[in-house]
Amino acid sequence: MKDDKSRCSCPYCSNTFDTVKELRSHMMAEHKGQPLPAPEGLIKITVNGESYELQVKPNWTLYYLLHDKMGLTGAKMFCDRGACGSCTVIMDGSPILSCMTLAMECDGKTIETIEGIATANHPLIDAYVKHHCMQCGYCTPGFIMTAKALLDRNPNPTEIDVKENLAGNLCRCGTYPQHLKAVLEAAENLRGG
Amino acid sequence: MANKVLGDYKKLEAEGRYQVGADVPKVTFREIGKRGIHRLDGYEKASGQAIYTRDIQLPGMLYARVLMSPYPHARIQKMETGEAEALPGVRAIIRYDDVEVKDRMLNGCYFGPEWVAPRLAGWALKPVHPVLGDQAWYEGQPLGAVVAADSEDIAHRALRLLKVEWEELPFVLDQEEALKPDAPILRPEADNNLIERPGETIEKGDVERGFREADKIIEFRAKRNAHLWAGAELPSVVVRWRGDNLELSVHEQQPYHAKMLLSEWLKVPMNKITMHSPYQGCAFGGRGNPANNSENGMNILAALLARRTGRPVKLLYDRREYFYGESGDMMVGDFKVGAKNDGTITAVQMKNVFAVYMGTPGIDHFVENTKISNLLCKTSTADVSKGPAWWCRCEQLPNTFCFTLVFDHVAAELGLDPTEVALKNDGFEDYDTTELSKYKREHGFPDRDSLRECIGAGKKAIGWAEKWHPPGTKKLPNGKMHGMAFTWNHEWDDTRGTGSGAVMIENDGTVSIIGQQSDIGVNPWTTYCQIVADELGVRYEDVNIKPFTLDHGYALMSPDGSANLCTNGEVLRKASQKAKKMLLELAADKFDGVTAEELDMKDSVIYVKAAPEEQRTIVEIVARAMPMSASVALWTKPPVVASAWHNQGLWGRALETGRPHLCRQAHFMEVEVDTGTGEIEVTKVVNVNDVGKAVSPETVEGQMYGGTYMGVGRALTEEMVWDENTGVLLNRNLLDYKYATMLDCGPIETVIKETGMGHGPYGAVGVAEDIATVVPALLGPAVYNAIGEWIDEYPITADKVLKALGKSQERD
Ligand code: FES
Ligand code: FES
Repeated sequence: MKDDKSRCSCPYCSNTFDTVKELRSHMMAEHKGQPLPAPEGLIKITVNGESYELQVKPNWTLYYLLHDKMGLTGAKMFCDRGACGSCTVIMDGSPILSCMTLAMECDGKTIETIEGIATANHPLIDAYVKHHCMQCGYCTPGFIMTAKALLDRNPNPTEIDVKENLAGNLCRCGTYPQHLKAVLEAAENLRGG
Repeated sequence: MANKVLGDYKKLEAEGRYQVGADVPKVTFREIGKRGIHRLDGYEKASGQAIYTRDIQLPGMLYARVLMSPYPHARIQKMETGEAEALPGVRAIIRYDDVEVKDRMLNGCYFGPEWVAPRLAGWALKPVHPVLGDQAWYEGQPLGAVVAADSEDIAHRALRLLKVEWEELPFVLDQEEALKPDAPILRPEADNNLIERPGETIEKGDVERGFREADKIIEFRAKRNAHLWAGAELPSVVVRWRGDNLELSVHEQQPYHAKMLLSEWLKVPMNKITMHSPYQGCAFGGRGNPANNSENGMNILAALLARRTGRPVKLLYDRREYFYGESGDMMVGDFKVGAKNDGTITAVQMKNVFAVYMGTPGIDHFVENTKISNLLCKTSTADVSKGPAWWCRCEQLPNTFCFTLVFDHVAAELGLDPTEVALKNDGFEDYDTTELSKYKREHGFPDRDSLRECIGAGKKAIGWAEKWHPPGTKKLPNGKMHGMAFTWNHEWDDTRGTGSGAVMIENDGTVSIIGQQSDIGVNPWTTYCQIVADELGVRYEDVNIKPFTLDHGYALMSPDGSANLCTNGEVLRKASQKAKKMLLELAADKFDGVTAEELDMKDSVIYVKAAPEEQRTIVEIVARAMPMSASVALWTKPPVVASAWHNQGLWGRALETGRPHLCRQAHFMEVEVDTGTGEIEVTKVVNVNDVGKAVSPETVEGQMYGGTYMGVGRALTEEMVWDENTGVLLNRNLLDYKYATMLDCGPIETVIKETGMGHGPYGAVGVAEDIATVVPALLGPAVYNAIGEWIDEYPITADKVLKALGKSQERD
């Protein structure tokens, strides 16, 4: 009969009861009028300025949530775990690897993705196109996100700053030298140069 | 003989054939060759809007994954699938003994049936490769079972619930070991591990005579360990059935070819298969064949699962699973070279032993690119317990590896400047540069000495005159040893692509290029639009191509073999010329008393040549040229659309193709070697490429940068490492398998030469494959120049540097 008990567990405090009736009277006595607690896995996040309330599973990565569930396919799965930076998004101002971040950890966070940056016409986008920073383009959004986080922090980066910041992003097509030009130019444009 | 009247088909065939000779452009270049042209795919890729196969999801779609072998050589004796089948969310499992797959082989490779015979194993994969077999030839091989489930995760869990009884078999990893008499035999039907393949011995002249003529004999041994193309986007395929029609999105370099193979296997007619090739996250040859579960095995399995479940299926690999398809230069070579004191090479002999490879033997560039008379190359290829090896940017790797090492060893041994040794031996097939000049003049090419020009430009860019020094003599203020090196080659101009496409003038006067093609990042579409714009006389921004939204039968040459632009440039040039003729004929009606011949077009405006102020816009002309129209109107006209086909010639040696390579490339590298840690830093690279004609200079530069980074990574760090005791590949991820990051190479200076001596349109050659292929071997000579010791085993890692330095200390 033990198992049956678990059928009647209180959604507020998780106490268990033998019958629904007992549960009901417990709830009326102890929790009347309280808003129902959020179910486990419900997170609130702001993505590209829009707020979302989403039910996520414990094993979902932020990448999976954004890419597979929210259709924000600009974040790319390249190395498949933490080596390439192509899944980079900005969370509360810092570039993070969305494939290495659990969706559940993102409750209350503000996230920017490439889609948001493109919609806002960030000068990096134009500079990237102008300087041919893409070949296959698969790694490109990840680079731009990393560069955007850099420029947010440091509007006047040196060549070395750019290199060091982008060194964690892999590009199999080897577009690296072009990124340097684009990021420095975008920085200048942002400064109104 | 009287000229035969050709029918329509024969006419098309004839006009599609490559003609030997210089291509003197007949149009004014407005867009072609211009910098700053808006890159067609740029915004989509930068903004994250570009969709790749991996991004595609369909309603109700299932996820499929294949089992991989934990052993390098094993057989499945028994498999229990019950527990996996019972896992909630599992929708179908196909086993190796399922009637649909049992004993069914993959099609093999597309060179035709003669290449898939068991005795030619090593070409595409192993001798007889089933779509879903019970035998593993290497650790990590897909085999045994494929599962379709509601999520990737469930499919993955289901694979772990399979109970497999394996019979482990003996394995061998090293190609030289594999050829020893006591090695375990990997193929049951064979009595040794030797893979027979054509062209095992290549001989020209008489090397013994060449050695006798030499002042010096140079001998060395060199080795290249396995590396992998490891593209950005992991493989996947999305399949759905519509009745008996099949629709797929593939991650394929050659989608039309993939359609053909799938159709053959499934017995679904080609006209019932729609194949989309969205943007492709890298290919480099790796999205050709073995990478695709050998020969489209993954497409087949996904289609079978989709049929069985009545649902769309996406079959995918993760990074760990997708660590096979080595570059085909796993080789060890023994070299003997004869040279005169002035640098003239009198004989080159090499004995190369390859592992599981089908590719080039090592000697070809000496034949194609030098005047050296005496050459002997003996190759053997061994079956080993490693994954399939294939072309990866590009199959010429063994040829360039041997070429650079021989030239640089000779220069070092003779104490000569390597650029001088190069110039001494330049030529083709036994002929020297005088003969090349004669060929150029006879065929309408400008008679320029490409190699001399490339070397001159490169020396200047790197500061050769000031910096070049004898080996092991230059210590820098930072305590490191400075080294520099040079290598050279011909340009990749032996292209043999075939493509078809069409140019259509839409009713609003804009121009569409029609032709399916995979985009793998070489910016082809921009260049096509440039060519069509100039050939038609329209504005660049009026031309567009939508190659993955249609399935119309025109298949542009796939982006491989360095044949993309050289083939498709011709296709689209011809199609544009035909379309222009049609358009002007139609336009003549709109002008008073003027014939089509008296009209021309510029900036999308049609005008009378003799009276340019008399103009019509294209839209005025084509508004009624209807591909289709709902209105039954007598005044509609046929559409202005023209197709063309082009075959860019033979792939082969000059004497077979009639096309010696005329354009050359030269590369220079500077390194600093830390003798305390063995660490090598590549501080500068100069690439000089005579591309004949740069249609899009930024795109050429992109290939030069990218090729250099790939080349440097291959030379410094890229290596697949197997555990000798278990045969397991140890570095199946991009943390332990390292390719170059932004910090791994100093400044790259690119010099583009345009001599117009290529065999492609406007005198162009291909440039996407060669730099990554030529650059790697350059590291050895650079390190030798720094420390005075040769390290001939690639990649050249710090431990090898320390070992080499230890050797020199022992000697001192
Ligand atoms: S996919 Fe996230 S770091 Fe590579
Ligand atoms: S552009 Fe292809 S991986 Fe970076």
